Amino acid sequence: MVAWIGSRTVPLSAAIEQAAKLLATSRCPVFSLDSDIHGCRSLIALAERVGATYDHVHGRDLVHEVALHTDIGGFFATATEVRRRADLVAIVGDVPPVHHDLLSSLAATGPDLAGKGRRRWYQIEGRAASAGGRRPLRGPKAVRVGSPDLPVDAVLGILRASLSGKKVSATFANADAFLGALAKARFPVFVVSHLTDVPALAMLQGLLADINRTQRATALFLPSDDDAWGMVLASTWMTGFPPRTGFSTGAPVYDPWLCDVDRMIAQKEADLHVWVSERDEAPPARRGGPPTIALVRGERPVAGAAATIRIGKAGLDHDGVVYSSRIGTLRSVPAEAPSDLPSVRAVVDQFQHALTGQDMPC
Amino acid sequence: MLIRLAGGDVVDPVNGPAGRRDVWIKDGVIVERPASKRAERTYDVSGCIVMAGAIDIHSHIGGGNVNTARLLLPEQHAAHLRRPAHTPLSNAGWSTFNTGCLYAKMGFTTVVEPAMSPSSALHTHMELADIPIIDKATLAILGNDDFLLSMIRDNASTAMIDDYVAWTVSTSRALGVKVINAGAAAAFKENVRRFSFDDVVPSYGVSSRRIVETLQASVGRLGVPHPLHVHANNLGIAGNATTAAETIRAADGRPLHLAHLQFYGYGTEGKRGFSSEAARLAELVNENADVTIDVGQVMFGQTVTISSDVTRQYSGMRTANPKKSILIDGDGNGGGIVPYRYRPDYYGSLQWAVGLELFLLINDPWRVFFTTDHPNGAPFTAYPDLFELLMRRDAREAKMAELDKSALELTTLASISREYTLDEIAVMTRGAPAKLLGLDDRGHLGPGAIADIAVYRKGQDVSKMFADAALVFKNGDLVVEDGVVTHYRWGKTLRLNPPPDKGIVRRMQAYHEDRYGLSLDWFTFPETAIARENPFAEVACRS
Repeated sequence: MVAWIGSRTVPLSAAIEQAAKLLATSRCPVFSLDSDIHGCRSLIALAERVGATYDHVHGRDLVHEVALHTDIGGFFATATEVRRRADLVAIVGDVPPVHHDLLSSLAATGPDLAGKGRRRWYQIEGRAASAGGRRPLRGPKAVRVGSPDLPVDAVLGILRASLSGKKVSATFANADAFLGALAKARFPVFVVSHLTDVPALAMLQGLLADINRTQRATALFLPSDDDAWGMVLASTWMTGFPPRTGFSTGAPVYDPWLCDVDRMIAQKEADLHVWVSERDEAPPARRGGPPTIALVRGERPVAGAAATIRIGKAGLDHDGVVYSSRIGTLRSVPAEAPSDLPSVRAVVDQFQHALTGQDMPC
Repeated sequence: MLIRLAGGDVVDPVNGPAGRRDVWIKDGVIVERPASKRAERTYDVSGCIVMAGAIDIHSHIGGGNVNTARLLLPEQHAAHLRRPAHTPLSNAGWSTFNTGCLYAKMGFTTVVEPAMSPSSALHTHMELADIPIIDKATLAILGNDDFLLSMIRDNASTAMIDDYVAWTVSTSRALGVKVINAGAAAAFKENVRRFSFDDVVPSYGVSSRRIVETLQASVGRLGVPHPLHVHANNLGIAGNATTAAETIRAADGRPLHLAHLQFYGYGTEGKRGFSSEAARLAELVNENADVTIDVGQVMFGQTVTISSDVTRQYSGMRTANPKKSILIDGDGNGGGIVPYRYRPDYYGSLQWAVGLELFLLINDPWRVFFTTDHPNGAPFTAYPDLFELLMRRDAREAKMAELDKSALELTTLASISREYTLDEIAVMTRGAPAKLLGLDDRGHLGPGAIADIAVYRKGQDVSKMFADAALVFKNGDLVVEDGVVTHYRWGKTLRLNPPPDKGIVRRMQAYHEDRYGLSLDWFTFPETAIARENPFAEVACRS
């Protein structure tokens, strides 16, 4: 059982045909994606074909991480280089649990390049960004630097000002100890992840630029979602732009506001929503939203969806290629438990065939 | 299908002097004139120039650093404003799709991405697989990686070094080996900001010279057709012609390719301490028959510099335009992305002239290669204008009249009358690159060559002629008509496949598990990961 039209079980071909009809007649389709590199490539190619706008399922978080690269830039390192070289690690803000194993593995080892030794750990923190408070960090025992009364960008700003010998009006716990350790470090690394505060990202990179005038320092950027970052990479090479890109004019147009899929749905610009998630995530329930084509892992049809197709997950049901923060690049992942569930790419190929009678160009 | 290109002026210096003749294609391959002389399809190309498809040996078209550059510089604009006609890099062929199309319409059919980090080979090959029409290839970067530096420090045997180089080429699916500012990236991580040919990487005690010589010898022993591709030290620094000269002398009679020599053609004369040493370097290249170079010509306008020479890119961050850049401390070399605008001021004018001096003063078109180091000197879309500058002295003089006179006075450009002939252009962009890369099946129009063919309409406007080919065939498929892509197909990525020694595989497994806590399969990939039918084509090593 892999396909439904509404809540009625149908052969896969019928659901494909229904989805293709909706795609062919839509004037403003929008895609929310969550798949491996091959799934994303096929969906972006489909978006081009039907003039759709696309974003990641978690586009609201991703937009800040993209902005770090499009608007700020700066100093970065791969996790593999950090493991071998970092003698001081400063975690800025919270790190999502998905990366705690990586931090634990860093904590369990020391640098082996450019002299052996141990790593010193610090956590730079400010006022908790979320109402749920700070998530405890598993793994390294870090010295806390900062103040619960200040936002993280202010904490970083005070550290930056202190480092350049300027007078600062506020101080906080362990600031001097951290600055002293920083001055002695050979290859300090600031870990940043899921930081939605653009001023904090800019201040961190300003701090790194200052440090690098006389010594080396860099940042380890850990995307809050590796699959989402993989989509950023594929989108960027295919179109020249990160997600929140649309093909409504034929050529790709990148605009983080204009191509915000959630906004387009909320403001009733979109007349069709394609939702693709290789995880067990269903599209958010929306009253009065556009018809939805859902590609999901669940065993039941998505409530309210015009068509639902069950898909497999890359690295579990079938082979795939994903981004991995552990190595800072793409990685081939073999199927752990091969199944007959179709891949996103295979389903999208059938959409394409139903639309034009031709195979996908990728 | 038998295809006939009838009545064109064929410029194919590999197979003889230029002249009017027909070219015949059968099943994607060039064939002798068949006895029947009855083609299923005939194209009248009278009044046109017929050449083999062009080959670009050094153009940064895909991989992690290129993609980071795209990410750093999106052509973003406010939604309520009209889309600007010209945005940064809008002319650069920025997506993988555009890259293939723009190269094809100029008659280029094979392009080499010259800087692939072996650790991110999968990413590079995924991108290259998404470039339509043309064939691609990569050079794997070595020379700042811990494994090699440790082996050199520990005086490992040549056999062990060869095994490692072969394993890297094989697993990363590369066509050759490149070294980028040998040792400097490793030294930069230890806060060394300047690094010359005889400087030593602190933690290894190994000099840049020794790294280059080690890799050069290994590439030769392994029979890699393309000589070691060297991005030398001190790129962009006044006085660096001395470094280039030392590197050329170190070739010591063995093949060596120096990349983008223009960026090393600088002396310290003049009020600004920045002058041309191109004439001296050209003479040195002329005297060293085993040395080949590509130019890395600068053209004016907006571009972005993309390089795994992190030492150089860090120093370039000060002049970023627009004011943002990215520097990555990665495995081995890492990379730096710095946008830059070449202006017709003193410095830009001098760099432009140095490149042209090298093109025009190096006598042998078999040893000087046509590149802008895309996008570092200029986007590859500037090639047609560059052809015109090489083929027409009056075009050079017209451009020189717009540039900084004081800079040009420190060059020999005004005194050079040479104009490239079509034969020389065909050597430099077809025959010679094929020979340099070991690609016997292309770069010429002889029987047995793959039918990669560019047909240009003859005209006084050289730039226009090369910008929009009248016809382009890739493996016998007609892909471009009148400068417009009319048929999309997927090319292949050309690679060597030296059989990896079992011992080195075991060593690499142990190394990755010990140093990274990850098994080797995190860093390697099966061919099926590319998810395209037959994405690679093998090129043989020389025995």
